[in-house]
Amino acid sequence: MEDPMIARRSFLARIGLLGLASSGLASGILSAGPATAAPLDLGVLRQLLQTLSLDTYKGLAAFVVPGDDAYSHAQGTADGTPGAIAAKAPQFLMDSLDDFVGLPDTTVRYATQALATGLAGSNVDVPGLSLLPGQVLALDNALTKLLATDETIPLSLPVAGLLNLVATQVNPASVNGLFVSPFARLSFADKAKAFEMIETTESGLVAKLDVNLPEPLAETVSGVLKFVAGAVIEFTAWGTYSEYAAFDPKSKTLDGRPVGWKLAHYDHRAEGYDSFRGYYQGRKKVSHA
Amino acid sequence: MRDVIVIGAGAGGPVVAKELAAKGLDVLVLEAGPRRADPRSEWTSYENDANNPLTGFLRFGPADRSKPAWFRETPQNSFLWQVSGVGGTTQHYFGNSPRAYPGVFEGYEGRDKSRYDVDHLFPFSYEEMLPYFQRVEDTTPISTAAMGPNEALFLKGCETTGLPVQTQRTTTGPAYRPQENAILQPGGHAGRTRDENLLVYPEATGCTMCGHCFQGCMRPARAPRNKFAKRSTDNSYMPMALTADVWAEGGKPVDLITDAFVMQIHTEEVGGETTATGVTWRDGASGDIHREDAKVVVMSAGCTENPRLWFNSGLPNPNDWVGRGYTDHYFDWVVGVFDEDTGASRGVGSGARLDFPPHGAIMQVGIPPAIASFAATFSDSGIRGHYGNGRGGTGPWDGDAGRFVGPELKELMGNGIDRLMFILVMTDDDVEAQNRATLSALPGDEHGAVSKVEFHHRNRSGRTRNNREALVRKAVEVQRGAGARKVFRLDWPPLILHVQSSMRMGRSAENSVLDPTGEARWVKRLFIADNSAMSNCAGGPNPTLTSQALSTRTAEKLYTKYFDGDPFVGHDDLVVSTDDRISKRLQELDL
Repeated sequence: MEDPMIARRSFLARIGLLGLASSGLASGILSAGPATAAPLDLGVLRQLLQTLSLDTYKGLAAFVVPGDDAYSHAQGTADGTPGAIAAKAPQFLMDSLDDFVGLPDTTVRYATQALATGLAGSNVDVPGLSLLPGQVLALDNALTKLLATDETIPLSLPVAGLLNLVATQVNPASVNGLFVSPFARLSFADKAKAFEMIETTESGLVAKLDVNLPEPLAETVSGVLKFVAGAVIEFTAWGTYSEYAAFDPKSKTLDGRPVGWKLAHYDHRAEGYDSFRGYYQGRKKVSHA
Repeated sequence: MRDVIVIGAGAGGPVVAKELAAKGLDVLVLEAGPRRADPRSEWTSYENDANNPLTGFLRFGPADRSKPAWFRETPQNSFLWQVSGVGGTTQHYFGNSPRAYPGVFEGYEGRDKSRYDVDHLFPFSYEEMLPYFQRVEDTTPISTAAMGPNEALFLKGCETTGLPVQTQRTTTGPAYRPQENAILQPGGHAGRTRDENLLVYPEATGCTMCGHCFQGCMRPARAPRNKFAKRSTDNSYMPMALTADVWAEGGKPVDLITDAFVMQIHTEEVGGETTATGVTWRDGASGDIHREDAKVVVMSAGCTENPRLWFNSGLPNPNDWVGRGYTDHYFDWVVGVFDEDTGASRGVGSGARLDFPPHGAIMQVGIPPAIASFAATFSDSGIRGHYGNGRGGTGPWDGDAGRFVGPELKELMGNGIDRLMFILVMTDDDVEAQNRATLSALPGDEHGAVSKVEFHHRNRSGRTRNNREALVRKAVEVQRGAGARKVFRLDWPPLILHVQSSMRMGRSAENSVLDPTGEARWVKRLFIADNSAMSNCAGGPNPTLTSQALSTRTAEKLYTKYFDGDPFVGHDDLVVSTDDRISKRLQELDL
């Protein structure tokens, strides 16, 4: 039987808290001391978790539509033109998931709790565990506290957590390195493998989320997370090729030509085109029989 | 006490409301979403602003766009595309108006008779349906679509198949043709210029070929609401229902309440029978609860919401068919890459089709880039070149079926939206009990337990799967015939957008919810009139015309049964929804 403490540390590293703890972002805020150190303010934790989620969605955006950004370089598919990150797809995903999916708060909480407990025991040998900084434990305590409150959990968090967890299954070395998110550290081919793991029907990994949930919610939560994890690919593409990045919702106008329109050579006209090519075989009317 | 309460103002409800308002009945229409009285001030033609399923103005959610969308559980890779508001999904539809195939009705004697979903036929003949088809075709009105570059290319491909051209509205066998569309055809400057100063009513009439059918139709600019090109029910039937006093002798305009979500249908035992007596709804802005009674209640809330309302109202379900038999045309998507202009982003959503009974139908689709990219990343076959998710089949298309992601997606889209031709595959899919709308176990929302829509798409019937393969091959043939350099297949999971038959009308009490008149088998004075009432998926043709014809028939049936009226279809003077009296009255009422 695996040491529960090591399993827990491994899990925390895998969902991306290690990256957060090691990043300069957290160093000024987190005590490097043991778990008994001063508790972390929940507002600060929210900000940090948001950073982790955003980094994960940057990794996702580069995966769906690569560009000339650092994340596309890291996955090995950079080209000389802008991609989803330039089109602000990561922010698009976060905003959409957190503010407009009418999923009940309790369901997101269940999903996050399931992620934070149900998968902690899955066995992956993560390198460098003994070197985990104390900040990780401070984050864990704060996360546990957050999950125990009635505060709304943003949906972007469990979805990002799932991507990161699966990323470390595909490549355990992704717990360390550039960026905050393990998923963002994967090569393009490994990101595809991560989605295969989420999407493949036989995969037991997502089903493990249900282990600690009461019926009848069990299959529901893994089903919802599985659906969302797949849909984020389509949604990233949508955000990239739409007007989102250039659109001002207040004036309902564009402040320039959207990146995706340039990529797709789209000549948008609202009122109409000179596209009339007559009627097929000159027939304007058919028999009503 | 009202005569009739209609729940939902999508494709079906406004048809019932208009027909009964013309007969002078006191009709109340309750719509969960908003009515956009002045789309020019509230809409744009941008894809995300319009169609984002979470935030767009054509989403399934409350009128207040700062509030989250309404959640529906779909426990599988799939996408359920509902739209609230007056017009429902006709707000984003393409206006394609083919008739259902004759083979899906009782009494059909064609040689391919046994190859349809014979256990789930419409419980009356095609001949009986014909006057109702014609009624809707003439009212909406429907006409032969003009061609743009996309149609010309698709039809060129069809010409290489050896199939005949269809020149009548009834489909009697495999054939191709321009669509019969619920779209006013281009007149004046429309379709002849890009100059927005010239694309103004009345110098421009009908379709301006703007390419924004999916974003909602508000063109030509300055046209009266009932003369916008696309005949979504917010532009056609609902304006008629709201002005019935000026175009129908003895007509009475309906009352329309929007932002009104119906949460319960009330019943009483009358003469030993469960009988509908009224409804309760919640006002979205105030949260107030309201109740009204009626002699007859008509459910027109759609394939996903009708079952929910039924279950949340505690109505009987003795044969367990409420919500079951949901059909969705098991769509697929075939993309061709061309070296010439395809005009995919310009013109109507679709102006040409190939009907291929008894398998279903295919049609070209013109769309802007965001929805095109969504369509190219949506698959049940994994990511092309990486994994097949247990499928990823090869065939006459190029490479594996699957999602385009990463450099491949960028390259595909980088050909240019107007170098791509998209073909939608619409399968004649069987009514199967396993595909259904039921209640989710997740916590409910302010309107009660929410819907869960289950599709077991990998376990569909052999006939359904074979039909789809036959159609995909035909679509590839058309793409290559048109000159495509590359042809790709996506193998979509369920895109639940053409929805039918979840509260089906049937001959047998064993597998239907409605009797052959459209009345609920176990609740008197409760009718259903929308796509969910359809007995099957119509054979693959786009469902709106069939749904509206059926709704017309149901309106007539309930009028004769409960209001002592005479049948009116074919007996009264037909008024077209573009009538000037309607325009004038809408203006007077500031609607």
